[in-house]
Amino acid sequence: MTAVQTSAPGTPVARRGRLTYLGGRVTEYLLVLFVALTLNFLLPRALPGGPLKLFGSPEALARLTAEERAQIATEYGFGDPIWVQFLDYLKSVVTLDLGTSLSDGREVTQAIGDALPWTLLLVGTSIVFTTLIGIALGVIGGLRRREGKGAFTLIGAIVVDSIPQFWLAMLLIVWFGVTWQIAPTFGATGPDGVTVTGLAQHLVLPVATLTITGIGYIFMYTRSSMLNVLTSEPVQHAHARGIPRGRLVRRHVLRPALLPVHTLIMLDIGFLAAGAIVVETVFAYPGLGRLTFGAIAARDYPLMQGTFLVLTLMVVLMNLLADLTYPLLDPRARTVGSER
Amino acid sequence: MTLSVQDITVRYGGRIAVDHVDLEVGEGEVVAVVGESGCGKTSLARALGGLLPANAEVSGRGVLRSDRHPELDLGALTDWRGVRGRRIGFIPQGAMSGLSPIHRVADQLHEMLTLHGGTSEPAELLERVGLTTRELRSFPHQLSGGQRQRVAIALTLAGEPDLLIADEPTTGLDAVVQGKVLALIASLGISTLIVSHDLTGLLPYADRIAVMYAGRLAEVVPVAALHHGRHHPYTAGLLAATPSTDRSVTWASIPGSAPPLDARPEGCPFAPRCPIAIEECREQAPMLRLVGDSEVACHRAEMAGDATYPAVPRATSDCGMPVLSITGLRHTYRSRSRTTIALDGVDLEVGRGEILGLVGESGSGKSTLARIALGLIRPTEGTVRLGDDEVTGARGRRLRDLQRRIGFVHQDPYDSLHPAMKVSALVAEPLVIARVPRSERPDRVRSALAAAGLPDEILNRTPGQLSGGQRQRVSIARALVNDPELLVADEASSMLDVSTRGGIATTLRKVAIQRGLAVIFVTHDMGEAIQSCDRIVVLRHGRVVDAGACSRISASPEHEYTAQLLAASHH
Amino acid sequence: MSMATNAPGVVSRPRRRDLLGRQGRVGAVLLALIVGTAAYGFFFLPDGAGKKRVGSPYEEPSTAHPLGTDDLGRDLLDQLVVGAGTSLTLAFIVAAVTTVLAAVIGGLAGIGPRWLSATIMRGIDVMLVLPELVLFILAATFLGQSFGIRAAILALILWPVPARVLRAASLTAWSRAHVEAARAMGAGQGWLLFRHASYLLGPLLVPVFVRTAMRVIIYDATLSFLGLGDPTAPSWGTTLYWVQVNGVFLSDAWLWWAGPPGLAITLTVVALALVGTSIEDRLNPNLQESR
Repeated sequence: MTAVQTSAPGTPVARRGRLTYLGGRVTEYLLVLFVALTLNFLLPRALPGGPLKLFGSPEALARLTAEERAQIATEYGFGDPIWVQFLDYLKSVVTLDLGTSLSDGREVTQAIGDALPWTLLLVGTSIVFTTLIGIALGVIGGLRRREGKGAFTLIGAIVVDSIPQFWLAMLLIVWFGVTWQIAPTFGATGPDGVTVTGLAQHLVLPVATLTITGIGYIFMYTRSSMLNVLTSEPVQHAHARGIPRGRLVRRHVLRPALLPVHTLIMLDIGFLAAGAIVVETVFAYPGLGRLTFGAIAARDYPLMQGTFLVLTLMVVLMNLLADLTYPLLDPRARTVGSER
Repeated sequence: MTLSVQDITVRYGGRIAVDHVDLEVGEGEVVAVVGESGCGKTSLARALGGLLPANAEVSGRGVLRSDRHPELDLGALTDWRGVRGRRIGFIPQGAMSGLSPIHRVADQLHEMLTLHGGTSEPAELLERVGLTTRELRSFPHQLSGGQRQRVAIALTLAGEPDLLIADEPTTGLDAVVQGKVLALIASLGISTLIVSHDLTGLLPYADRIAVMYAGRLAEVVPVAALHHGRHHPYTAGLLAATPSTDRSVTWASIPGSAPPLDARPEGCPFAPRCPIAIEECREQAPMLRLVGDSEVACHRAEMAGDATYPAVPRATSDCGMPVLSITGLRHTYRSRSRTTIALDGVDLEVGRGEILGLVGESGSGKSTLARIALGLIRPTEGTVRLGDDEVTGARGRRLRDLQRRIGFVHQDPYDSLHPAMKVSALVAEPLVIARVPRSERPDRVRSALAAAGLPDEILNRTPGQLSGGQRQRVSIARALVNDPELLVADEASSMLDVSTRGGIATTLRKVAIQRGLAVIFVTHDMGEAIQSCDRIVVLRHGRVVDAGACSRISASPEHEYTAQLLAASHH
Repeated sequence: MSMATNAPGVVSRPRRRDLLGRQGRVGAVLLALIVGTAAYGFFFLPDGAGKKRVGSPYEEPSTAHPLGTDDLGRDLLDQLVVGAGTSLTLAFIVAAVTTVLAAVIGGLAGIGPRWLSATIMRGIDVMLVLPELVLFILAATFLGQSFGIRAAILALILWPVPARVLRAASLTAWSRAHVEAARAMGAGQGWLLFRHASYLLGPLLVPVFVRTAMRVIIYDATLSFLGLGDPTAPSWGTTLYWVQVNGVFLSDAWLWWAGPPGLAITLTVVALALVGTSIEDRLNPNLQESR
């Protein structure tokens, strides 16, 4: 039961303590995660094909006798009530026993474990570029609003943001891969195996695609945030107090303007794994996105379940990280309830 | 003379905001530039600080002198670096929200000191403005409004400027805090120019007052000479329009409103509203001339003593049966992060034809109370009765039927009228909602407009074409059109110019007398309450601390807080 | 005209003529061209355009077939034009449904009872965690690829983001003084919504609509590209799917085969974006929301 306080002017209301606040946020996310897990659990059971589809492709299943099917069913608990199955499922998630892929017989955990690092490499690299370029352009765009260049870059950003990823990927392949033969066009590694140069070469086109289609959004968001802060009262007043422009921008404009961008980027990272599906498919890049798509196309239910789980986890994780790191950057968010 | 400016003119694309103003500020002197909205005082202040927007044109001459620096020609100044902060300290309006939210107070002070070469320590600066070293480590959002204002002042002092310009330093602060901030500024010993709309509020702290009207100086007068001698009729009007907490002094209002920037009349700009204007006033604009101790821009300054303004009338008879009765009202707000008690056991009653003043500062619960009475909020405990019907328990259609018997005038004249509706539709809206037959509507709208003091021509205008005072009158007409038993006016005049506030109070009084209407007048200004109401209820932290007839409250307040409010009203 | 117009921060509604700036006009013209092309396709092209074989495969551009033919001898220009119709129809229908859904749900979350608001917001939080593209792929794989299903799935998955925006807006609208004054007059919910709140919320629906349309076009094209589109209807994404499958970009044919559909998608989205942002700028100068 919260203590009751009056909010008289001038007395800061008692704070709730940072831990309680954190605890609250984590609980919220756990709740979301739980719901996502439940959906994940229900998903294959909702799709056509019967519960046994988790254990074999339709052809393989057709070859089993009725007794064999019944045997599998009891062994894997399909006769049990639904909540028992759910608990089993949760247990399997925690122990990372996600089943076996129907397509190639590998452990799901292993398949994901093989694919995840590639996606992280791809996504990580492009996020770095996108962020640096997008923010830099956005800051400059915000500062230079009045000059003619401003409109051009804005339209440029809109155009770049509208290009479909898969089309850009194809164009890059045509120009740089085929016509000019500058960069390789598929896979993550060349014939030499895992070498730094090989990796880098194979990353060029995919990263370029993700970066180009990603900077427009970050640019516009940053620019808009800059404009908001530039016209805000603290900045106007700092100017009235005689703070010169350069210092004004560095100390009083950049951090407040980039705070919302930081949150945006954290959230973007979460979604980027799923967003890389298209790029990974076009470039035959062996990442999580391609794995997911392949799993769905092949009706590989265990693999599907596994990849969904990982994708959802990533999003929730990044959301939580964004929430946790925000108070570090914005003093106003540090103590909840201590508003004037 | 520290500051000496002549012939300052500020134009915005051809429209004159400041019209050939001369001003001087002596060493250590506090000069207050006073005026209402649109008089040009803010443009003047910003011109002196080099902070006008790009589309403004300034002309004139100005010189800044001091012992420590060479003479500065303000007119020739193109680069204000090194001037702002170091020679002229500018405290913009709303400085409380102008502090950097991500830096601690100590860092912000340190920044100013380094930038402008100040010799003090941050702690010393804080001390000078009445704060302690405890605030050094705080962030602005952890401080109260008054504390933040003080920090803003400290920041301006860091560079040890020769001249301080403060633009409305007391806006948004509670009455008691306002006095303290002004006292602080006056005690600093620096030549200061304070811009404000609150004439009487500045009297205890300023040395000289410059009254501006429609871009021109109406009068420049030493404070000591203000209460005697001859003045500009506008100054006399401003003084009379400030409600005194002494009931024996009447409260007046200046009819009409200030001319807009692009429609300044020929001759004296005040002539249309002046009670002693003659032909000459309308043809020839008066220049500043010495009359006794003051400089006055008026042809008839000697006659200013004859200038009388319509006074706000008092009640003519005793109040009747209770219209609204509230018992045991309690209300708590619950949100995710905390619980706030807004009202903690309130009882009150309003009778027919009575104007009840509900006085309190921010956080007192007065707005919550008003909204509960209007049926907009359901209280956690307690009853509200309108006549024999209970408002608190009613829901749905029954509540809405009850609400039609109560009129509401909102504080904000700019937001409380739908921007796209004409006055005729705005005032008729309650009738439409109550499904009054169409044939009856035009007459009722007209009579409501007349009761609110508006002419029929206004029917076809939209809010964008009306002044603040006119908008509030439309709001009043709308509240009256359904013949309510009770009118709730929530800070109905706090966003209006001082000179027109009395007019609103007059209208409310007339309506109360004519229609036997019960009125709840919510305000934070004790003087206003004492002048325009019959009884007063003082709220603090959700509790009634004092209640009684206005005359008794002003003469012998029962609670210390009431006495504080009376003193802070400084009228 | 009195000087005391609106208080600072309050913007009068501009007249219609001012609604689009130079940017917006460019976008509107572009959009009109595309819509015109789609309409032309709808009214003037024969039924099987783009689907029937009309020439030999892999023909280069000629007067008979300005964009050449694909691997089955189908006219690529026809596919482009018919595709315009498909994409735009889908985009506008889904945008309309989504806008309504977002307005209703977001509005309810804003001003409805606490429990409803909390439930809706939690629901939106969960939905936002699930990756959109993956959901689309799932739906297309298992639920079918007909126009109706695609439209329904798109609307169902796209409404949470604008719903959040509209919820925030409805909270703001509810706190405006003229809405409060109307409530105090005894106005019913319907009156409040249509006479007062609509004035404040109406303008917001335009950016919501335009943005959703943009996303639909891209998502639908992406799905078709992945092979999950409607194989019976020519569309920009499907054309590009065949490009991918046939390895067209390894030959010269990419210029007239892969180029135009992608360009068409880009231009349509750009046109919508230009129109949307310029309307948004003019009607909501304080709007800081990102997509």
